[in-house]
Order: sequence, then C-alpha cells, then structure tokens
Amino acid sequence: MDQKKAGLKITIFFCQQIDADQDVNRRPLEKELGPRIRFFPLPCSGRIEPLHLMRALESGADKVYVVTCPEGACRYREGNIRARKRLAYTQGLIEEIGLAKNRLELIHVPAGTTTIDKLVKELFAREAFAGPLPVDAPGQERQQKRL
Amino acid sequence: MRGESRLKKVLQGGSFTVTAECGPPKGADPEAIRKKGGILKGFVDSVNVTDNQTGVVRLSSLAACAILLQDGLDPILQMVTRDRNRIALQSDILGASALGIRNILCLSGDHQSFGNQPQAKGVFDIDSMQLIQLVRQMRDDGMLLGGEKLTEPPHLFVGAVENPFADPLSYRVLRLEKKVTAGAEFIQTQCIYNLVRFKEWMEQVVDRGIHEKVSILGGITPLKSARMAAYMSDHVAGMNIPDEIINRMKSVPADEQREEGIQIAVETIQALKGIKGIHGIHIMAIEWEEVVPQLVEKAGLAPRPAV
Amino acid sequence: MITAERKPLSEIHEMIAPYRKILVVGCGTCVAECAAGGEKEVGLLASALRMDAQRAGRDLDIKEVTLDRQCVYEFIDQLTEFIEQYDVVLSLGCGAGVQAVAEVFPKAIIVPALNTTFVGETKEVGLWVEKCRGCGDCKLGFFAAVCPITSCAKGLFNGPCGGSQDGQCEVDPDTPCAWQLIITRLEEVGGLDRLKKIHPPADWSKQQGRGPRKIMREDQKI
Repeated sequence: MDQKKAGLKITIFFCQQIDADQDVNRRPLEKELGPRIRFFPLPCSGRIEPLHLMRALESGADKVYVVTCPEGACRYREGNIRARKRLAYTQGLIEEIGLAKNRLELIHVPAGTTTIDKLVKELFAREAFAGPLPVDAPGQERQQKRL
Repeated sequence: MRGESRLKKVLQGGSFTVTAECGPPKGADPEAIRKKGGILKGFVDSVNVTDNQTGVVRLSSLAACAILLQDGLDPILQMVTRDRNRIALQSDILGASALGIRNILCLSGDHQSFGNQPQAKGVFDIDSMQLIQLVRQMRDDGMLLGGEKLTEPPHLFVGAVENPFADPLSYRVLRLEKKVTAGAEFIQTQCIYNLVRFKEWMEQVVDRGIHEKVSILGGITPLKSARMAAYMSDHVAGMNIPDEIINRMKSVPADEQREEGIQIAVETIQALKGIKGIHGIHIMAIEWEEVVPQLVEKAGLAPRPAV
Repeated sequence: MITAERKPLSEIHEMIAPYRKILVVGCGTCVAECAAGGEKEVGLLASALRMDAQRAGRDLDIKEVTLDRQCVYEFIDQLTEFIEQYDVVLSLGCGAGVQAVAEVFPKAIIVPALNTTFVGETKEVGLWVEKCRGCGDCKLGFFAAVCPITSCAKGLFNGPCGGSQDGQCEVDPDTPCAWQLIITRLEEVGGLDRLKKIHPPADWSKQQGRGPRKIMREDQKI
C-alpha cells in the first residue's frame, strides 16, 4: 500500500452480487485501514440515494465509489441505471458548491471477477498513481493495473 | 368617412378576386408602407396588413391601414388576439371603422415565443372564433360584449383564415364551417402548393355547401428559391409542399429559381380558377411585394375590374 | 399537486450569506411529491450547505425539519419551540408555505429555497406536467377533460389553430396539441358535434380576481 496517500479516505458503496463472500473478505481491510475505509454493502446498487453520497462526503470521505454490476447485468434490471443517474445528479449538486465531480465515481465490475478486498486495494493504489478514471466511460470494466 | 369595402363589391360582383399581403416596417416610417401600397395599387382589389406577424414588433396594422386608405387602396385590417384584451380589441374595431377601414381579418396570431419579444405576456383574452362573432355582433346588433349598445356600429366586412393542410386534417372542414357560423364572410387560406390535397378539401367544402355561404380566396406564395421551399417545408408548421415542387425548384440553376417560383405560382393560380368554390386568390409575397404585379398579369388577372 | 424546483445553490447561498444559524424547513405534501422540498431534499440541501460552509471556513449551525404541510398553521406551530434560536428560516415550501410560515412568525426572516411553478400531475416517475391554471371556472366537461387554457399554448376555446402538426403544438413540438387530443377523444365517443357550438369568451375575472383570491366557508369555521 502506497504511503504517499496515507491520509486518503474512501467510502465504497457496492453491490453484494460482486463478491459473494464480501462479508468475510472485507474484515481484514477494515482492521488494517481503520477510519480510512468505510464499506457499505448493498443488495443492489440501485438502493443508493443522493443523500447517502452527500453524507459520505460530509463525514470526511475524499472519494466515494459506487460499484455496480455492468449495465444489462443487474439482477434487478435497472438498479445500476438508477445508481448511475442518482450519482450524476449528486455530482451536479456538489459542483454547485465547488467540489470536483470526480469526488464521486461509478465503477462497473462483473460479478465474480474479483473480491472486495482486492478491488479496494487496487482503488487505493490507483488513486496514488494516476488519479481517478473519468466517470463517464460507458460500460467501463474494472481495469487491471500492474503495480 | 363612409366608404365601402371594395373587396366586398368585387366578390359580390362575381369577379375572380385578388388580395395581397403587405408587411409593415420595423420602424416608424410611413413611406415604407406607401411604397408597398404604390406597388400593389391597381393590381389587387384589397391589401392585408399583417398584425405583428410571428410576434415581431412592427408598425401597427391599424396605422398602416389608415395610411394605405389615404393613398386610395382598400385595406384589410388583420387583428390577432394574442396582444390585446377585449377592451382594446373592441376599441380598435371602432377606431378602424371610424378611420374608414372597411375590412377585418380575425386571427389568433402566432405565439409570442416565436418573435422578438418572447418575454411578453400573450393575452389571448378571446380567440379568433370569438372575435369573428364579436365583430358581427358589433356591426349587426350594434352591441359590445356584454350587451351595451354602441352609438354607431362599425362597418366592416369580416374575414378569417383557414389552413386546409394543418392537423387534424379531418376536422379542418368542420372548423371552416364553424367560422362561417360565427360570421366569417370571406376566408383566406394558407398558401397552397399541394393542389391534390387542396382539391380534396374543397370537394368537402362544396359538398357541405360552405362555398355558398362564404367567399374563399386561395393563398399563393411564390417561392424565391429552392432553399426557401425546403425551409418552409421543414420549419413552418402547417405548411405542405410536395416533393415535386421542391425538386422542380432544385432542378433549376440558382439565378433562374425566382422565375420558376413565379411560374409555379401562376400555374397554381390557373388551377385555382378551375376549382369550384374558389372565389379568388390571396397573394402572400413575403418581403417580395414587387413580384405581385407580374404575377397578377401573368395569371391573366389584370386589369382589376372597376366597381 | 403544486410543483416547484430548487433554486440554484448560488441564489440560495446569497440569501443566507449573512446568517450562521439556519432552520431548513421542508414540506411533506406537494413539494415532496415532486422531489423538490420533502424530507430527502431538506437533507440534501442541508448537507450541501454544510459542506460549502466548511470549505469556506465558515461555521454553520443547521437544523433540518419537515412539516406535514407547510401551508397550514397547525403544522407550522410545531416550529415555535426552536425557531427563535435560528437567524433565518430557509423554507422548501411552495410560495404558499413560505408565506404561511412568515405569517405565523412575523419577526422571523424567511427565505424561499424553491421556485414554485405550476399545478400539475405526476405523468410518470420523474415527470410533472402542468394541468390547471386555476381559472376558477372549470370547463373540462366541455372539452373532453382537456383544459384548453392550460394545455393549449394560445388558450383557444374553439381550436385548433393552423399550426397543429402531427398531433403536436407548433410552439413546442414536444407538447401534444391539446385540440388534437380533444377532437380525437370526442371522435372516439361520437361526440364531435359538441364542438359545433361556439364557446364564448371566458370570464377571466374569476382567475384574476381583485388582487389575491379568497374562499370563505362559514360552515367550516369554528
């Protein structure tokens, strides 16, 4: 884990379909990173509301991720589409108060291709190197980065 | 001043009548109107002056009509209900008649959002149908809305418009009938390019005997260019220009397109002469009033009858 | 319901700039329905204002409250307990709500967070359409339940105008032509004859009133 961004705080709302064992897999990271990471597992990313994202930022998150299944693969059909729209709405709101819209980011991750702890480690690492990917890349797959 | 409507006289005399439209200037100069009037005089029986058409502020129709009257023309006051409430409308109707204007065309008007004053309040206190009925009531019963008696009724020949090409098509004949019931005495239609469709409409009109109760003047707008044809077809609501006409305009080199447009207009006029129920034409040569005299001559409608 | 939209944050910011303690009051009826001023929206706005203040190094004390109806004094009274502790009330009620609160608490400073727009229906989730202009003389029975004043851009009672095209209004091609709809509905029930009658001019005094209109019901008074 890169020490340069030691202070970076991430909140991650994620669809439980992505990692069936997320409950177990996230515990070690929670222990290691303490207040720098907050996990919010959801039955579907569509459960997310702008208010949750705002409160996450208010509580001190530098970056809020919403992880959804790829479009077309949502088991509740449009949950991930709703998540996308609500995230976009919240981006508009935070831009009105002068925050960069990439403080909030939506990521598509096909179910079963990774585990939640692996994903989070990559996200922290990515923040350290290249900065966040643009949020409006459609059908974006999680990118494997060689570290 | 107690003149008579020349339009009414020519129509009643049975001649194929010619009216034309005249757009007032975007300024206070009366000469602009006089000039246009001068071009049209002798080639048409009456002249419409538009009323802040498309919601663009221009010299008022009432004033322009008064100027044309001074120059010996027979003006048709166009009155839209978009800009004035019933108090102002009735007042202007009395004023027009007092000035000697003898014809009025009743319309709702284009919505204010189209013009150069989109923030204006659109009044629409009454609609065109109610306005037709109102002018007839003022003239024939000498009464205002509400029943109060006028000291002198206005003397106006009442007209309206109809667009045979607008939706819902099936209702357009019934709407014309309603305008006649309301009291319209002459009708000017939207400009005609699709003769097939127009003939169908006229057949229904004649079928219902409407042509015997109202004088119908077919609208004619000569096309200046292929671009104008395409623009009107795509952007003007209620306009129907068949592809054959657009292609015909396109097939001719740019510097010959005006001639072609005039030719098409002449052919349309000749066709209209042969349609039962048509009493004349109404030429709307937008910002091209100069073309009217040659159009009238080429269509064999000059000189105009003496009445 | 009455619909409204949140004002841009820059406008709200300017209105509350001189103040430190802000009471944000929402309404659980109309403005909640159109997602402009209900409990959620109160939360969102408060959150945004707090974050904004924090970044500017300002210290803001915000309380969030949502009343069932902001236009009824009985509910507004619930604010009595704590309203005096705040410098300004930022109301997410419709225009009626904002003013009602001001009447109950005439010494308080009350500012509107919303632009109240129209009386409308929820046509689909996320879409509200204007339906009624409150003319005070409902004629829906004559026009196949389509309001010609509201839904026709020119308010024609004897329409359509000459610009109706493909069932859409010439003024806004995304808006259906009200008269096309009226005619279609009447045709379907064989009632087109009803349009033969020339509908007379409206009595606009019922809509305009002499200043603000009132309804008084003696039988309802206590």
